[in-house]
Amino acid sequence: MEYTRKLADKLSVEQVKIELLNTAYGNGDTFLAKLDPRTLFLWYLFFGIVPWFVHDTGVLIGMCLFMVITTYMAKISPLIIFILCLGLLGQGGYLLVVSLLFGGDWSTMLPLLVLTVKLSTISLASITVFCSMNPDKLSDGLLKIKVPGQVSFSIAYGYRMLPTLLEEYHHVFQSFRLRGKAPEKHGFLYIRSIAYFVKIAMLSFYPLLLSTAKRARTTVEALETKGSMYGFNHPEVKKLKLASLSMKRQDYLFLIGSAVYVTGLFILI
Amino acid sequence: MTAHIEIKNVTFQYPGAEQPVLNNVNLSMEKGDFIAILGGNGSGKSTLCKLLNGLIPHYYVGDFSGEVTVNGYNTYEHKVADLSKHVGYVYQDFENQIVSPRVLEDASFAPLHYGFADFHERGLKALKLVGLEEQQDAFIWQLSGGQKHLLALASVLSLNPDIIIMDEPVAQLDPHHAKDIYDILTELNQVHGKTIIVIEHHTEFVASYAKKVVLMEQGNIHFSLPVAEALNQVDTLHRHHIYPPQVTQAAREKGVEGRLPITLEEGYSLFSNAEPKEVTDIPFGEQKEAIVSFENVNFAYKTITREKRQVLHEIDCTIHEGDYIALVGNNGAGKSSFMRLMTGLVKASVGEVLVDGENTKDVPPEYLAEKVTYIHQNPDQMFIEDCVEKDVAFFMKSRKIKDYQSKVETLLEQFELTDLADRDSRLLSGGQQRRASLAIGVGMNPEIMLLDEPTANLDIATRKHITRILDGLKNQLKTVVIATHDMQLACEFANRIIVMHEGRMIHDGDRASVFQNYRLLEKAGLVPPQIFSLTKSLGWKEPAYTVNEFIERYQREEVDNGVYA
Amino acid sequence: MTTVNKRYTLTQSQKMMVFILSMSLYGLSNMITELVPSVNLGPIELSIEYFAFIPLTLCILFHPLYAAIGASLGEIIFGELMLGQFGGFGELEKFIAFSLAMYVAGTFVRDPRNKMQVGIAAMLGVIIHQLISVTVDILKVWVGVEELEAVPGLAESVVVVEGFSFLNDVLFSGILFALLPTLYLVPRLYGKIEPLLGMKPRDRNDRYSLAEIIGPRLIVIGFLLAAAAFIFEYLSEAGFNVEWEADFLDMFGDWFIWVSIGVALLVVITTIIVMVKKKSKTDVTKKQEDKIPS
Repeated sequence: MEYTRKLADKLSVEQVKIELLNTAYGNGDTFLAKLDPRTLFLWYLFFGIVPWFVHDTGVLIGMCLFMVITTYMAKISPLIIFILCLGLLGQGGYLLVVSLLFGGDWSTMLPLLVLTVKLSTISLASITVFCSMNPDKLSDGLLKIKVPGQVSFSIAYGYRMLPTLLEEYHHVFQSFRLRGKAPEKHGFLYIRSIAYFVKIAMLSFYPLLLSTAKRARTTVEALETKGSMYGFNHPEVKKLKLASLSMKRQDYLFLIGSAVYVTGLFILI
Repeated sequence: MTAHIEIKNVTFQYPGAEQPVLNNVNLSMEKGDFIAILGGNGSGKSTLCKLLNGLIPHYYVGDFSGEVTVNGYNTYEHKVADLSKHVGYVYQDFENQIVSPRVLEDASFAPLHYGFADFHERGLKALKLVGLEEQQDAFIWQLSGGQKHLLALASVLSLNPDIIIMDEPVAQLDPHHAKDIYDILTELNQVHGKTIIVIEHHTEFVASYAKKVVLMEQGNIHFSLPVAEALNQVDTLHRHHIYPPQVTQAAREKGVEGRLPITLEEGYSLFSNAEPKEVTDIPFGEQKEAIVSFENVNFAYKTITREKRQVLHEIDCTIHEGDYIALVGNNGAGKSSFMRLMTGLVKASVGEVLVDGENTKDVPPEYLAEKVTYIHQNPDQMFIEDCVEKDVAFFMKSRKIKDYQSKVETLLEQFELTDLADRDSRLLSGGQQRRASLAIGVGMNPEIMLLDEPTANLDIATRKHITRILDGLKNQLKTVVIATHDMQLACEFANRIIVMHEGRMIHDGDRASVFQNYRLLEKAGLVPPQIFSLTKSLGWKEPAYTVNEFIERYQREEVDNGVYA
Repeated sequence: MTTVNKRYTLTQSQKMMVFILSMSLYGLSNMITELVPSVNLGPIELSIEYFAFIPLTLCILFHPLYAAIGASLGEIIFGELMLGQFGGFGELEKFIAFSLAMYVAGTFVRDPRNKMQVGIAAMLGVIIHQLISVTVDILKVWVGVEELEAVPGLAESVVVVEGFSFLNDVLFSGILFALLPTLYLVPRLYGKIEPLLGMKPRDRNDRYSLAEIIGPRLIVIGFLLAAAAFIFEYLSEAGFNVEWEADFLDMFGDWFIWVSIGVALLVVITTIIVMVKKKSKTDVTKKQEDKIPS
């Protein structure tokens, strides 16, 4: 339990902010980040779905290796990989433990491993793709594939507001901490302290609900004057916005390269 | 010349409100004017401005009657979208007006969404007008508060509107940056022929920049006059809790005949140059016990690019009991970091900060909170409960202090909050919020109180009120540190002024040593109170710091010499 | 009647405000819950699943549709995209399930001051959401593992693990992070937060009942959304596999049919109840209208 506390100490708000914004904007110079969003969507369309239906271990491992390489190329922040691994290990581990209880044996391991490889392939594919697109690119891409304008606006707005909101939350949380009193005894398994902090974490949303409501009002008024209601409904605005998107040689090369690799996997293995 | 803006018989009532917020308003403004709107809280200033870009009546579905014409467009017949090409509005909470993560993106947001093919150029041009072109690729969170304000202005300028409205352009800025923003507005007005409308509490800015003043009172236009004439109506302004520039106040008190001066330049010639009565400066009390000490402290934080940014350099400082310190310097000079180090919420990267002999690195912030209270600049961040009373009681209640109810009551009384006890703190006016946040701070029964900009965003009358309350706190606390841009507050409240500049303490002394040092003021970007500059130009060896002091000393001078101004 | 209805019609921008409010707050909370490590007591995971009370509160206080969609989108943007764990297609299922659950919970409440209604709505929201996501999770393992039944114990364990997580989420997260905080927040915010957005609070006289607001049109949309959630998962995971083994398909088919029958039944019953209620009401109003001329 001690590790939780240490981790929580390390994960200061500032640190989290830095990591997050780096995830969003820090990878602008990788090869993948220079590709057109449509290329990445197309690529993901394949690697996000097909592994589900592949039951050949060799091909799966081949795909997974490919994903590991692309993930490396995309320079993903370590925090994200850490979170991903925790999730995957957790899920696989449970299933294993419980199926052992139900009379399974170690042979259960193999299909579970295969499942984990599948899940990792798919997760790595989405991480590669979505971390290689900075928010601007992603929203442009989404607009291009006919997702409503509100969604791409929301993405941009989310990134705009995240640091502000996080900071405000942090301030309120601190106010609770400084003015309240943490339980003097940690209780069995720190249960008291955990309960105390979770309670504060929730209570902090009450002030935030009100202040965000004030914000939302100004923002929407400003949006009105900035013509976004007009822009969401006019195709020529969309065209203007997406004028910079273009498929280049590297896009085609990347797609062809991936196709050759996958075909090779199926033929050779 | 035909009127640019014409408001005729407008009455407006917000949905659910009991009284109309605008009551049969008639007003016309001409093209190329520079207008300042004055008025107390709730006099309808912001509502008046929202009439002009059509947010009222299209956006606020209240009871609207009358007619508003802007640039020949009737606002009732045209949509907000059409009108915003003519009227640009910069909100008081301009931060929420910025909707894109990057600077240029936000500046070109409006032209893009209106379908202008040259949206990019328009955005760039607007950024150039406000001097932000170098930051065009920056992210919003990398900007300072002042830069964000300029960006909000640029985003509005990108549509090239004829009329620009700014709600409190300088509320959160240091004097130096405040002047910058007014200079930009003046350029827009004089070079580009734009009509500028500002809502402003600082009459000294109004006097130097505006051409015309509109005074509002409870939903009515009280007057609309040229600036000199308007600021000369000292009694009327006083009745509306508005304080004319210090020069004007001084001249008025001295019974200057005819038109009162409204700027420093006008003031010089009117007052005699004779030596004033000598003052004995407030003596430094004998040094008492040290409470806080900074020993060679450096402080740095990681920026987004994972580089360390050093905010404080080699700070050495001791704070004694009985010190009432004003911490002054530009935005970004490191004032907040200096104070936050004492709360233990952030830790020094090099050196030690000792509070009552204990190293802040070794004790949790919760422990320090019982000794050191930090009052946020934005009172919103102090409010965690759903009414004022509970907020004040929170600390005492969680520590199970006996008989806390009666203590809360006393505090509510002291800060004049008894009537507001069961209201939600967030829904109070600016001054009430400030008082509530102070009550919360004092309720924690600290030895040291740290205040971040306690008078920002307040109108001058409320500001005076808060200054008075702060003065009353001196005997409840061992020491107080105030970070502020408000030099009048610094002069009236502090017995020690620390000047910070780019993360270093460049001066530590009494007010005379700060304001008499021309180079220091220049370097730190400080602007002394107007009355100080006036008396200094008049050749006073010991210039006056407040209008009251001026009146007292000038008067004695007159009596002594029999000279009348 | 018309005036009453008119009073609760929100303008386009008010809808946008609700949407932005819900999106940023639930998004933020999601990011926080994602970052807080979970506590494992053996196989039991006591994690902060989600702060469902935020969208629940907003759905109850404001227009449920915009609050629900805003919250789901907020989760995707803050909790997934920004943390770099955007799951691509899987997010669609989450989006639909969560929006639907929150929306239904919001429409259930007629009077935000009625604690009983608020409490039931909060639990209802969590149960619907968990039901859908547990079903989808089970389907995923079923599809993802070849010859599932050949592996001893796996099939049962999947159901047990998911079943347990369902109970855990509903009883633990549901009560701690949905029921209690919603009951705390709704009365506190009611009448206070609405004016900040320039709206009037919902009140009993607004006749904001399930039948009138949902109407057959939205029931149909709800059904389509639910169906889409399943069909989507089904198609994307099972649709094109040519090497599918006959017995596996049988087993899978049975399971799927059982689930879809259950859901369909539920939806049909709700529709019928709502329709009948609505009809009787319109009948009454019709009769009244008939009476007036005579």
